[in-house]
Amino acid sequence: MIAEAIASGAVSGRLWLYANYHCNLRCTYCLTESAPGVARRELGEERAMAAAREAPELGFDAIGVTGGEPFVLDYMPRLLAGLGRELPTVVLSNGTAFNERRLRAMEPLADLPVHVQVSLDHAEPRENDAMRGPGNFARVVDAIPRLRERGVGVRISTTLEDPDADPEGLERLCELHRSLGVPDEDHVVRPVVRRGRASTNGLGLRAGLEELDPELTVTADGAFYSPAGPTVTAGALDTDLLLTRVTSPLARPAEALARVVAGRPAGDDASIGVR
Amino acid sequence: MLARGVRGSPTLDAPMTLLPSTREGPVALVAPEQAPVLARPFYAAGPPGPLVASLAQVPELLEVAMPFVGGVLGPSALDVRTKEIVVLRVAALLECCYCVGSHTPIALDSGLSHAEVGALRGELSIDEGFADPLDRALVAFVEEVAAGRGPVDVGPRDLVRRALGEPTLVEITMVASATAMLARYCTTLELPTAAATLVRLEHEGFAAR
Repeated sequence: MIAEAIASGAVSGRLWLYANYHCNLRCTYCLTESAPGVARRELGEERAMAAAREAPELGFDAIGVTGGEPFVLDYMPRLLAGLGRELPTVVLSNGTAFNERRLRAMEPLADLPVHVQVSLDHAEPRENDAMRGPGNFARVVDAIPRLRERGVGVRISTTLEDPDADPEGLERLCELHRSLGVPDEDHVVRPVVRRGRASTNGLGLRAGLEELDPELTVTADGAFYSPAGPTVTAGALDTDLLLTRVTSPLARPAEALARVVAGRPAGDDASIGVR
Repeated sequence: MLARGVRGSPTLDAPMTLLPSTREGPVALVAPEQAPVLARPFYAAGPPGPLVASLAQVPELLEVAMPFVGGVLGPSALDVRTKEIVVLRVAALLECCYCVGSHTPIALDSGLSHAEVGALRGELSIDEGFADPLDRALVAFVEEVAAGRGPVDVGPRDLVRRALGEPTLVEITMVASATAMLARYCTTLELPTAAATLVRLEHEGFAAR
């Protein structure tokens, strides 16, 4: 059932894994209220790899890793290598944790279908760092070429309150990412989602079951309908997009997702482009 | 009025207002706005009772548990009076405050008298509450099922079987067993009795436990 749903496009072929919830930053629009010192809710290498090994047989054709900041986990490059051997993998990162030691650890990924999707929201440091914290811009702009020099594929994601509000500013950002060697096809622009800290701060678009694309998402707390699902608000995990607590075998939540999608009204207005 | 759970079945799950952030108890009751995807059908008719709202923390269990509970404790071939004798006696024996509170009104509505309900709750002796030997045998049998260890006393069991038939014996055994399971669940997780149930208990002159 899940394989058919993926093949038909009703369910995304990408399996998302929440590596952890803690982070070295405290962004104003963070869905998961991530920050230093929050509960780690770490999925762990073993569970992540177990899910990745089951994924192809169920019809999944790609993996996404997110958090928290995945690269605060020392084993992340090793895990990404393992995941990349199973399926093409993209890992979402704030791009600020790549010191020399971590960059060396990333080198084996050059030969694998693994991309790092780095967050960069504005072409100007002041605007960028207002949302993401002081010094963020400089560290990201430094890390991107250093990752690319080592053969690691880099994409950029831009999260904006209103992606259409400032086309000139967006164009300046595109000029910047091109100058860093990241082509337009590797640049994703997405809206802020009104969940977690974004909701507390009154930011973003509402995102519930009706607005989100179905993308199976595995976390330490269970499996969710979307990577925008396992959010944290006022310190408590949101469960409105929880599918199942069981995550292994992966077929259990995958089939639950397929059942939910099969019962959803047809229509193409579900997506708000949250990737 | 009977407490109604999912699919319209009388259950242990009396609806109530959910205030998970203020509830003092070992587990939060999942509020409607936090209902997981698979749990949403159980919230469709309004805020559910604490059994659903606690099980909603593990939606895949909720999905299988509530149809089972509804199938066993809801309308079935077993008449509702007999079923409530079984449920209330097991609940009282296992000292499940939530179950006894929730099922006292249901037992009264099923046609059991105040004296019979009082006896099942342990406030009178069974002999004081029930005159019919078959009712007394039924109570003795469910006490064996709910609180016994090892083989049951065959006397009450065989009396019930001869009088009511094997299918009814099977169903009574399952109702008693399921109630015992739920009683431990509700007691362990300290599920709260609905405010409306407390009002009804007071009106009927029964103490909340």
